[in-house]
Amino acid sequence: MTITSAPATTAALSVEDLHVTYNVRGIERAVLRGVTFHVAPGEAYGLVGESGCGKSTTAYAALRYLPRNGTISSGRVLVAGDDVTAMKSSQLRSFRANRASMVYQDPGQAMNPSLRIGRQVAECFTLLGQPDKQAHESALEALKKVRIAAPESVLERYPFQLSGGMQQRVVIAMALAKDPKLLVLDEPTTGLDATVEAEVLDLVRMLRQESDAAVLLIAHNLGIIRSMCDRVGVMYAGKIVEEGPSHQVFDSPQHPYTVGLLRSLPRHGVRKTERALATIPGILPLIGTDLPTCVFVDRCPIATELCRTVEPPEVPVGNVPGRFTRCHHSDRIGDIPQEPVNVDIAMLAPVDDNPEVLELSHVSKTFRQRGKAIPALVDVELNLAEGETLGIVGESGSGKSTLAKTMLGIESLDSGGLVSLDGHGLQASTVRRSAEDKRSMQMVFQNPDSALNRAWSVRRILLRSVHKLTGIKGAEANKRVEDLAEHLRLTPRHLDLKPRQLSGGLKQRVAIARAFAGDPRIVVCDEPTSALDVSVQAAILNLLADLQSAQRTSYVFITHDMGVVRYLADRIAVMYLGRIQEIGLTDDIFKGPHHPYTEALLSAVPSVDGEITTRIRLDGEIPSPANPPSGCVFHPRCPRAIAGVCEVTEPPLVEVSFGHAMRCHIPLEELRVLQQGE
Amino acid sequence: MSEPTSHDEVTEPTTLAFAAASEVPEPAGGVDAVIGGQPVSERKQARRENWRLIRRRPSFIIGTLIVTVWGVCALLGDRITPHSPLDYRSTPHLSPRGDFPFGTDATGRDVLSRVMAGARDVLKIAPLAAVLGVLFGVVIGMLMGYIGGWFDLGMSRIVEAFLALPVVLIALLAITTLGSSDWVVIGVVAVLFTPVVARTVRSSVLSERSLDYVTSANLRGEKRSFIMFREILPNVMGPIIVELTVRVGYAVFTVATLSFLGAGPPPPSPDWGAQVSDGYRVLGAGIWWTTFFPAAAIASLVIAVNLIADSVQSVLEAS
Repeated sequence: MTITSAPATTAALSVEDLHVTYNVRGIERAVLRGVTFHVAPGEAYGLVGESGCGKSTTAYAALRYLPRNGTISSGRVLVAGDDVTAMKSSQLRSFRANRASMVYQDPGQAMNPSLRIGRQVAECFTLLGQPDKQAHESALEALKKVRIAAPESVLERYPFQLSGGMQQRVVIAMALAKDPKLLVLDEPTTGLDATVEAEVLDLVRMLRQESDAAVLLIAHNLGIIRSMCDRVGVMYAGKIVEEGPSHQVFDSPQHPYTVGLLRSLPRHGVRKTERALATIPGILPLIGTDLPTCVFVDRCPIATELCRTVEPPEVPVGNVPGRFTRCHHSDRIGDIPQEPVNVDIAMLAPVDDNPEVLELSHVSKTFRQRGKAIPALVDVELNLAEGETLGIVGESGSGKSTLAKTMLGIESLDSGGLVSLDGHGLQASTVRRSAEDKRSMQMVFQNPDSALNRAWSVRRILLRSVHKLTGIKGAEANKRVEDLAEHLRLTPRHLDLKPRQLSGGLKQRVAIARAFAGDPRIVVCDEPTSALDVSVQAAILNLLADLQSAQRTSYVFITHDMGVVRYLADRIAVMYLGRIQEIGLTDDIFKGPHHPYTEALLSAVPSVDGEITTRIRLDGEIPSPANPPSGCVFHPRCPRAIAGVCEVTEPPLVEVSFGHAMRCHIPLEELRVLQQGE
Repeated sequence: MSEPTSHDEVTEPTTLAFAAASEVPEPAGGVDAVIGGQPVSERKQARRENWRLIRRRPSFIIGTLIVTVWGVCALLGDRITPHSPLDYRSTPHLSPRGDFPFGTDATGRDVLSRVMAGARDVLKIAPLAAVLGVLFGVVIGMLMGYIGGWFDLGMSRIVEAFLALPVVLIALLAITTLGSSDWVVIGVVAVLFTPVVARTVRSSVLSERSLDYVTSANLRGEKRSFIMFREILPNVMGPIIVELTVRVGYAVFTVATLSFLGAGPPPPSPDWGAQVSDGYRVLGAGIWWTTFFPAAAIASLVIAVNLIADSVQSVLEAS
């Protein structure tokens, strides 16, 4: 892993002043505006930036694999010295077949669903000229190389029979078949759980040591780039605005955009009671916009007249070769104002004697599929105080969303359990609940595109909810909609637009406004920021904290992002296979000693601060709830399982310290020793 | 980023232009952004652009021209025909010539005048039948898709059974039993179309039903009928409009077939199908014009409607 910078003639990948346009409705619109970078053999180079900045376009252009309306209008791409942009189609084909590989975001789409894994992997080797029998053996070898368990049986399976993590391993195996000189990874772990993501990233790290392939990694997760890449380029509006060794760029950013990006992340364990998250005002310019000077000038907090008239050159930073920022004022980076605390801390501080608003007792949910019982929730006990935020974390399949749906009555809970609101029992199903009960509990969904009716205007969406939840009509309702919009920092003009005319963050604001239409007591948020860019996420989290401090609303906040939950939640429940494994105050959950599963979740998070976390790795995937393991359901994957105990009896959920309970046979003190000793 | 990962899926060149355009990343951005005039006008512009592209498509232009010609004939009828389509008598079976460009039929009536006047029947019956069929289909398909469960299972079997029946025979049987008024023909054709439309609508509704806005409507206590027809329906209008244009083409065809088989309006009405049916017996004797011109009229209208349907479909499905 060498850190190189100069455009060596032997660079594995050289992108030189690359300009790419997309033809949209007959007009050529600029997407890349002169991208230059070099990746040395064996080096890993990362590209970061928000969606729409041109990261993926750069990746596709590197293999000349742009969509048909994309054109390389000028510039060159050299792979190991050969000009990809000048290749004829036959040369290009052989280049892609023999020398460069790409791994896409969705492994399921990268495979042919109707062919067995063995045949697909072997095909890569047949393409390289191996006879069938040898290709089959090579396929087996390739799967062993990516550490797939039971590779012989995987060869016989179809893609849909594999989990997402396994699929991505197979795709990586195929990508490595030709021993490529260049490996392009485009958001390779975005659809995967954090635990699986950590495994896949470990694999890529390991494989890099075995081969000399250069890696170009595209990711929106800054932590991944930091932990995987030697050097990083920060992209904005089709330009690299800052470049350098990744630890330097992340530790002392020198471009206002990088600063904004990093500050908008909840880092260093910051909580909502300490400060609001920074946001980057404004939006990314549309593709094709004319940007003659600094591309970031319209959103920059320290821009001056100079920035509007003269395009900033690459300003070297320190004496590090290849470290530059494209900013006139890198000496004034320290002037960028910190975000003030805009929430009423007193209102947010957890108060022990807050009245309880929601209580779940013995809540179970069993789905039936072809006569077979599938327990999705098992005896969940929870309570929620007024103004409190309860975070719910766990891998997908752990029952988080089912829990949310059961509280809201979208799914009816099994008999024997009870959900109570303000001390009175609720009907199991939403339709049978009273109007008042419906008003009291609302939901914010993960994906605003799905959650907002795209045929309706924003005004109609909000008006309908105001009317149904409060009974108000006419001018009064209209007034309330406008008040709501103002609260959520939507302008009156937004009200008359359709959801598709709004950006992702604005759409999510509309969805939040709708949930708040009837002054709810409890709002259930199901991953409300996971589809958003980090700076937009910051604004939404600030807003949620703000609304909570103003209205004493309680949140049930489902997420897989440990940083987000640490920022927002007062208490956290960790779920696994429909059971609460651990529950406690946010500090207890993060500082430990924690349940081994919580420990695994925490150590799977790649840190943007470069903190080395002790890693415990989980083997395999979350089991099917239809066949839960015996004893402690977590024992087959638990690195700390006690043989003879854990597979026999399921530990009860026991309070280990005040307000902190977990389901584990290992005594707390022993966990403390184990977890500190590594 | 949302660039496509594969470029092999789109085959039809015209759809490609749209598909590619829509794959370009939408303007992402910060929540603090005020959506300026730009993206909004851009959307309007996109719609205008789409419409401009439809109008430019040769298939749309040709289709519209042909339909307009028949529309004018249907509207004005015997006010613009060179001779009376019903009463005028000349020598039977005159071949096409100056004063009778399409020749005359077995009773000496002018074929051109009868073909022109015949447009009225078909343009009255076919669109009405299509609209009615789509209307029934939408209601049934919506119920199947949204309510689901046993209702869907039962209705699906009925729809399949219906589709397995020989369509023309059933229609003939129904018309013979109920008498052959225009409304009976419209009703029968509409009922024949209902199952096909219902199936299309059902599948669109199924994917819509799983979206969170429906969950959200349930959470605030909306009635089922409201969710179906106010929330979901506007979002499945695209496929419904496409289905409607396609059905109009089929309706022209079906109506002509029925009248050819004698289930259309009674003689001496100048119906195209009936004219073909009257004329084809003398084809062997070399008298081709009494069959050819009404048949060509049917074909031209079916093709014209399909050309329009194609244009609409490729634009609506791409956007």
